[in-house]
Amino acid sequence: MAKTYDLSDDSVTVVVGSGAGGGTLSNELAQKGIDVVCLEAGGRLSLADIVNDPPAMHGKLTWLDKRLGAPVGLLCKTVGGTTMRWTAIALRIQEHEFKALSTYGKLDDTTLIDWPLTLEELAPYYDKAEDKMGVTGTHGIPPSFETNNYKVLKAGGKRVGYKEITSERTAINSVARDGRPACQQIGFCVSGCAIGAKWSTLYTEIPKAEQTDHFELRTGAMVLKINHDDSGKVTSVVYVDSDGNRQEQKARAVCVAGNVVETTRLLHNSSSGMFPDGLGNTSGHLGRNYMRHMTHISYAIMPKPVNFHRGTRISGLIMDERHNKPERGFAGGYFIETGAADPYSVSAMINGWGEETGDFMDNYTNLAGVFITGEDPSEARNRIRFHDTEKDGYGLPVPILDYKMHPNTVAMREHSIEKSRDIFESLGARRFIATGGGAGCHNMGVARMSENPDDGVTNRWGRVHDIPNLFVSDGSVFSSSGAGNPTLTIVSLAIRQADHIAESMAKKEL
Amino acid sequence: MTFSACASGTLGPSILRISSAWAESHGDLDQETMDAMIRMARLLFPHEAMSDEFYAEVLDGALSATASDSSFAALLTAADDALNSVKSGRWIDLDEEQQLAVMREVEGMGFFAAIQGAVRAGIYLNPVFWEHIGYLGSSKEFGGYINRGFDDIDWLPEDL
Repeated sequence: MAKTYDLSDDSVTVVVGSGAGGGTLSNELAQKGIDVVCLEAGGRLSLADIVNDPPAMHGKLTWLDKRLGAPVGLLCKTVGGTTMRWTAIALRIQEHEFKALSTYGKLDDTTLIDWPLTLEELAPYYDKAEDKMGVTGTHGIPPSFETNNYKVLKAGGKRVGYKEITSERTAINSVARDGRPACQQIGFCVSGCAIGAKWSTLYTEIPKAEQTDHFELRTGAMVLKINHDDSGKVTSVVYVDSDGNRQEQKARAVCVAGNVVETTRLLHNSSSGMFPDGLGNTSGHLGRNYMRHMTHISYAIMPKPVNFHRGTRISGLIMDERHNKPERGFAGGYFIETGAADPYSVSAMINGWGEETGDFMDNYTNLAGVFITGEDPSEARNRIRFHDTEKDGYGLPVPILDYKMHPNTVAMREHSIEKSRDIFESLGARRFIATGGGAGCHNMGVARMSENPDDGVTNRWGRVHDIPNLFVSDGSVFSSSGAGNPTLTIVSLAIRQADHIAESMAKKEL
Repeated sequence: MTFSACASGTLGPSILRISSAWAESHGDLDQETMDAMIRMARLLFPHEAMSDEFYAEVLDGALSATASDSSFAALLTAADDALNSVKSGRWIDLDEEQQLAVMREVEGMGFFAAIQGAVRAGIYLNPVFWEHIGYLGSSKEFGGYINRGFDDIDWLPEDL
């Protein structure tokens, strides 16, 4: 933490956000000797701050400023961002999912495009990301431990005929690795891992970057605006520091990784005479094509105890439904992952009252659960916009999230609910409930990559189409959602983007 | 409204910390209103194993947490008034089926979701309830479940 940079130092690359995208990009750049100032709106916790108390951690980790419209979950204001709360399932986007338009065709009311890159091109970066994050089942890392909840999913999955069932693909140490211990099955993964067994940028990328002497992290720094010059290149960012004072940091390049809501808001709020609708919005796509996956969390009352609170929240998954099989009545596919929660969270996800709710809660120890995540086609109407008059505590317009499920998403959801029910009923479950839980914890789109500048906000490197030194470095750049949890792809894209930025700087193009 | 998967907040565990003096007084609510609310809390989240005193403590917790502005007391008063206005006679004297029917009639009113949320938090974040269901809460101080049964399931069919 020795290194500090002057506000007037225009040789630094400013990274906004310290999560999966921003934290990874910062470290990758710093390792290459590129000077980075990372501005994080939240504070910095230590492992000792992480307690097994979900409401308390909710208060410490969550972005709680006012937002209207469709609720989002897991969005964080803390060093590490959503890597503090993610369940650590690390899945690659599949080859056909990179070609959403070509594979699925022009679905009604969607804005599908193909990614401007392929799985083959991203694969080496997926490989680096899996190594960096310690994904089980890769790089010789043993599978995750099979929890009770996973054993139920595996047995039920086999009984209904599924073949692709695995306890691999989790970025939680199954053995001590990279200076971090093996998982102790503490069971509060989404409230922060108290021992650092789960990969988070808080205790991996950020301290590694600090050891390079090319990195400064400023916490409590909320970025309000990005400035540019007459040529259209960005020159500085304006932020409020942890003492509430307004500051301006000069920059050679700016990389925005604030998760979809804040990334959209920052680019939108940086409008100017040259870019009247916000930076990167020449195409009109900024904030649109907002995707959040088909999700649900379902529970079943099994005949005997499962005790799914013992151990990791997600310890394995069924992958058979990930393929594109239009004969099921929808495009794209989904993953069936284990899903567990503490009693209060279960009750909140059920969100009902009366005899059925009481029965589920009385039988908490017998519950098994799944979390489902699947492809969600982009639509222009699904977007992040801003209130005309209402401002939040930063004086910024309050975000409004417009999101409705596409009929394809509804059809996939119904299919996945029936499959989940079948899995548990095959083992004698006496009651099953599909909840609304899980909605809005995967957030993608809003600044999507596109080959044609008219179709999106960023190019194949996440570089804003018409601003050569402005990058988007989080899940906002996803051209389509794919089916799986997004973090591995965000990290892989950040590693790749760092290579591109370094090469561009070496060629004096940046 | 969940802390676990996708989250937004509500009343936390602080509502569970109530003084016995407060519990005896139930704030400014009369006993008749309190009795009806205890019944409503039980019908919202029925648990045979839990006593009326438990449900009373849950309500007292929320009353205590909002004592400065009496906001939860106002919600309970509104709920009591609404429940008693649907049918002639006192709601608490109806049979269970009719009580539930009245609750479903007033379910859309503003107080209902607020009380439901507060009572839900008061029950399911409550260590007394956790003991009933066999949930042990925080585990890091015990080294997690790595040696305490995370994989001890023994009833699954052997062929699977």
